Amino acid sequence: MVVRPYVEELKYLEKINDHCWRIKKGFQPNMNVEGVFYVNSRLEQLMLEELKNSCRPGAVGGFLPGVKQIANVAALPGIVGRSIGLPDIHSGYGFAIGNMAAFDMDDPLSVVSPGGVGFDINCGVRLLRTNLFEKDVQPLKEQLAQSLFDHIPVGVGSKGIIPMNARDLEEALEMGMDWSLREGYVWAEDKEHCEEYGRMLNADPAKVSMRAKKRGLPQLGTLGAGNHYAEIQVVDEIYDKWSASKMGIEEKGQVVVMIHSGSRGFGHQVATDALVEMEKAMKRDKIETNDRQLACARINSPEGQDYLKAMAAAANFAWVNRSSMTFLTRQAFAKMFKTTPDDLDMHVIYDVSHNIAKVENHMVDGKERKLLVHRKGSTRAFPPHHPLIPVDYQLTGQPVLVGGTMGTCSYVLTGTERGMQETFGSTCHGAGRALSRAKSRRNLDYKDVLDKLDQLGIAIRVASPKLVMEEAPESYKDVTDVVDTCHAAGISKKCIKMRPIAVIKG
Amino acid sequence: MLKLKLEALGHPTPSEVALSNRKEFASTVLWLEDQKIRLYTIEDREKLRNLDNMLVWEEGYKKYCADVNMPPYESQLEQLTWLVGHAIRLEYLDDPAQYETINSQPAGQTKSNGALSQQKVQTIFNGSINVHDKEFISGVRALASKLKVPYHPNHLLQLEAVARIVHERVAPTASHKTAVTGTPFPFDKGNDVVSANDPALDYPMRILRLLQIQSLRQLQTQINETIVAVQNLTANPKTDTKLGKVGR
Repeated sequence: MVVRPYVEELKYLEKINDHCWRIKKGFQPNMNVEGVFYVNSRLEQLMLEELKNSCRPGAVGGFLPGVKQIANVAALPGIVGRSIGLPDIHSGYGFAIGNMAAFDMDDPLSVVSPGGVGFDINCGVRLLRTNLFEKDVQPLKEQLAQSLFDHIPVGVGSKGIIPMNARDLEEALEMGMDWSLREGYVWAEDKEHCEEYGRMLNADPAKVSMRAKKRGLPQLGTLGAGNHYAEIQVVDEIYDKWSASKMGIEEKGQVVVMIHSGSRGFGHQVATDALVEMEKAMKRDKIETNDRQLACARINSPEGQDYLKAMAAAANFAWVNRSSMTFLTRQAFAKMFKTTPDDLDMHVIYDVSHNIAKVENHMVDGKERKLLVHRKGSTRAFPPHHPLIPVDYQLTGQPVLVGGTMGTCSYVLTGTERGMQETFGSTCHGAGRALSRAKSRRNLDYKDVLDKLDQLGIAIRVASPKLVMEEAPESYKDVTDVVDTCHAAGISKKCIKMRPIAVIKG
Repeated sequence: MLKLKLEALGHPTPSEVALSNRKEFASTVLWLEDQKIRLYTIEDREKLRNLDNMLVWEEGYKKYCADVNMPPYESQLEQLTWLVGHAIRLEYLDDPAQYETINSQPAGQTKSNGALSQQKVQTIFNGSINVHDKEFISGVRALASKLKVPYHPNHLLQLEAVARIVHERVAPTASHKTAVTGTPFPFDKGNDVVSANDPALDYPMRILRLLQIQSLRQLQTQINETIVAVQNLTANPKTDTKLGKVGR
């Protein structure tokens, strides 16, 4: 890594407009393209401060600042357009979380990098609507939270309540949400309202290690730990009435359920296995990167292909996982209100993936190109009339579900034409960490965090309360800042804001 | 569109034709007759010229509509559109050779579209009906006017439109359809941009896209129905709370 004083570093950064900065070539060695990041004035401060801290003499080790990571990604072979940092960006393994990058499929040197997808493959958010209103749910929220907690096992080492054997898992890995449909856990309309229709067709369970399968089998239908949660939320604000009504959200106070989860230990193992393989491939193919964490392999190499097939299987695992939790949520609600999920109109509004790599066609310099788009902590946000979004959202643009932090608020955005042009149809995914997990543990007390939620009138059930300060709002950037930046930059459009009334967490 | 047509005919102020004003409408009709259609002799146009006394003009206009063989349209817009179209047709027929060189790709496509619909109709009737038979054509026209389907020079395309309306509105299956509920979505207010500064392009594009969305929706509904039919055979969701374990 190049070590320069902070003032020198700033010469490589240029503010293009109020919400966008350019990272010029030379900021890190061998940059093939420029970098760019979206911030508002408050997030900008956080970004630059992070850079400044890393420039202090004697600052060695620790996390690379987000800007540096964006620039390192810009130095990977085959990257096209720009390496893009979204407003919720924070340091991650190899790629920063909130970094998206696209690689040319027709360039034989292009690479795929597990660090560009993340360890929690196909971590994502699903939103269910109901026809209930706040007044129906407020008196019951404690019971509802408990009921959800009983149905959806949470926490490290939790096990699901849907019986599965090894053969079921093999089938689920290959079929994704089609497996859940076949077994009757979800509705036909759920598939329609899910990114990729809930199934990556190139999935190959044979490319997944036994170890990953062993880890994954008991975990299907569990929420997991970390930043994952299930929340009962109420609509707090509607910015775009027409788009909201297309999603079945008619009025303020309507109750929705948000599920944020991924592929659990399964995806983590797939990523770990791939990193080991790729280090070997890098030596063989003489691929050089600026950061050891950016292990990668050529897309067309056996390692690259194996990873993509195993990643697709992990993605399918995550969709089956979220589908199973959809089933359990519907059961919990139906029991509580003594009716059926149908009568509660518990449809899936949408399901997004924010840790995934996908082959997509985009316009680059006026020409259509086939790209491998890595989105890590970044959500796809396709504009109206894009052929890959559901027919119900053809007029509004793809719904983008942005989960906030525990106890704050969440948003639904819609994709825009401008986002398609500027960021390969990508936008933010959540609040984005501001403090590291260790730092939050040191600085905050879990009792204060729980008390604060109580004061806000939010029912909470946690498996491990002592870890709750890692997820406290203080540990994160303000999701409203993040969303407002995306809206102001035009890469997605604000549609609905929700606030939680009950949370269950790992 | 009307503006473009008037412009093509050389109307002095095509963008200022306000249809809300009956007098304006009357003077536009008069201009068309005076300059382009010339159905009547100059003396016969007396009543139509009477723009100051609208009662007399209306009487003359009624007779004129019948004489020029205008189909029984209700709105001013439809009537004027037809008259302008008629004027353009006459203008063209004065000297077809002049326009021979003007030949665009879309025009070619219309032709193939017509051929396609002819093929479609032929297969339905199994070749037993000559679709260019005069009786057949007049039958289609009569049906169309009854269902208020706008005029199209190709009667087969018009027949397709008729079929669509019958399928959507008149057929016994259509009457069982539950009415669409929910808040209507004004189609010109979506997040999608077509062409902000060209309403002549924007409007039809939006309509075409809506039709496309409608047929996609039908397809997706069929897919969902198929999935549900299969689910009836395969679905057996199970849970076993004994397996559950909450982590630390």
